[in-house]
Amino acid sequence: MNDKLSREEVLHVAELAKIKVTEEEIEKFQVELKKILNDVEKINDVKGYDDDILIAPWSRKTTLREDKEEEMLQPKVVIETAPRHSGNYIEVPVVISEGVSA
Amino acid sequence: MSNYIPTIGVEVHVELKTKTKIFSPSINGYGQMANSLTNVVDLGYPGTLPTLNKEVFNLAIKAATVLNCKIRREMHFDRKNYFYPDNPKNYQITQARTPIGYDGYVEIEVDGKTKKIEIEEMHIEEDTCKSTHRGTKTLLDFNRAGVPLIEIVTKPCISSSTEAKLYLEKLKELLYYCDISDCKMEEGSMRADANVSIRKSEKDPFGTKVEIKNIGSISNVGVSIEKEISRQEKLLENGEAFKEQTRRYDDKLGDTVLMRVKETGNDYRYFPEPDIPFIYITDEMIENVKSTIPMLPNERVKKYIEKGIPKVNAEKLIQNRMLSDYLNSILDSNINFKIAANLLLGDISAYLNKEETVLNKTTLTTERFIDLVNLMDNETLTSKNLKDILNKVMESNDSIENIIKESGVQNITDDSAIKETVKKIINENPKSVQDYKEGHDRAVKFLMGQIMKETKGSVNPKMAMDILIQELNI
Repeated sequence: MNDKLSREEVLHVAELAKIKVTEEEIEKFQVELKKILNDVEKINDVKGYDDDILIAPWSRKTTLREDKEEEMLQPKVVIETAPRHSGNYIEVPVVISEGVSA
Repeated sequence: MSNYIPTIGVEVHVELKTKTKIFSPSINGYGQMANSLTNVVDLGYPGTLPTLNKEVFNLAIKAATVLNCKIRREMHFDRKNYFYPDNPKNYQITQARTPIGYDGYVEIEVDGKTKKIEIEEMHIEEDTCKSTHRGTKTLLDFNRAGVPLIEIVTKPCISSSTEAKLYLEKLKELLYYCDISDCKMEEGSMRADANVSIRKSEKDPFGTKVEIKNIGSISNVGVSIEKEISRQEKLLENGEAFKEQTRRYDDKLGDTVLMRVKETGNDYRYFPEPDIPFIYITDEMIENVKSTIPMLPNERVKKYIEKGIPKVNAEKLIQNRMLSDYLNSILDSNINFKIAANLLLGDISAYLNKEETVLNKTTLTTERFIDLVNLMDNETLTSKNLKDILNKVMESNDSIENIIKESGVQNITDDSAIKETVKKIINENPKSVQDYKEGHDRAVKFLMGQIMKETKGSVNPKMAMDILIQELNI
């Protein structure tokens, strides 16, 4: 079994996590990330476990809420928690791509 | 004729018509002041927990039922991870593995034939906040964050832009009639994406898939699919390969433009949402929801045709739910429905449009409407005379009979009065009488015209015609 991830795999994960990595870190993560993956892989060797246990380790069911409104935050409070705002909008630096909308 | 066969799949997001959001008790509303409909859950504050809105499940079960889907009984939510400011939690809560509905279909009519558009699955998820790009800034409004959505995904079984449009129209009609969603594409409460690929023959594997995102109207869905098919044809004809990608339809350019080369599904790192335990759908929930489903558009058309309304008018009626609901409330009465439909689609619609109002804001109760239809059916009132009294019919509480009497527009149904007029016209037009006797049919039309002119249209045309023929043949 290969004991480290490829450079490309580390760079891809770094991009998804939106972090910059140095050459030194790439080498370090190639080994460390592979070790984590190998450890997680061990779950597949456990026999007879129920898949559901990975979803929720209990059988409790969700209680559904009635469709009734409750008090909301004032717009002023909302925008003041953000570093920047413009009118009642929260302002962030422009995002170049159109992003992943639902 | 193109050398390629298109394969199209459509994904539709619909905002559900609940009072509050899916995971928080904030109001689900549109057009309010920015960031005025939020709480800490919608803003993704650390430590907050989602609480599930029961009504979301009721509406999703209703949608699954009318889309002929199987309903899953045990389900959970998943996190779809991505980094983007429209969702400060950095994940969207969705149903990746256990969609509430699956294996459904919607029937459309293509060139007189019924085709089933198969639905792969429909799942529940939360909407993101609305972001507006302005120069160097992006402005965020969280009123939309957490609005409940259902996403409805078809199989790649649509083979033309026309079929895609017919499917969307039918879907919109069903969801709107069942009060599941407003389905207003212009306000974003219904949004469509189309996946388009082409191939030379049915035997070939599917071609490279291109997704066209967030198309703003049903007609643009048609245009953008057409444009995309011809773009892909040109590329393939020139021997150029292309990657899976996401494009959007640009209204101004009238064409699709590249947004990004697509991430793979794995990059979303889906995993089960640990903050929401399993949800179980009971028989009782399903039965309760089924009892709230109104008569669906297809059934309405059938019923209207049975009642004697021509097909074209039956189909027109269901395009306006207010008119259709109004008519449905009197379906058990014994009236001439053909006249009723003509009135609703004609003079009454014209009045409502002109006055910018709706039926239940006028004085035309169903009782008065039934009287109106009957008075037209027995020809006491002609459609020409109705125009003179329409405002009173729609605005006063007086009985229709009284309005007719007081306005003096009553149709003359008195035999002797009509006979007198007919005789007068015959005497004044000996040439036409001669023509008639020589077999010229046009003479009758001319004489009828003279009678209507003489009586200012207040005479019952059918009776006048009968008497005229009688008198001419004496």
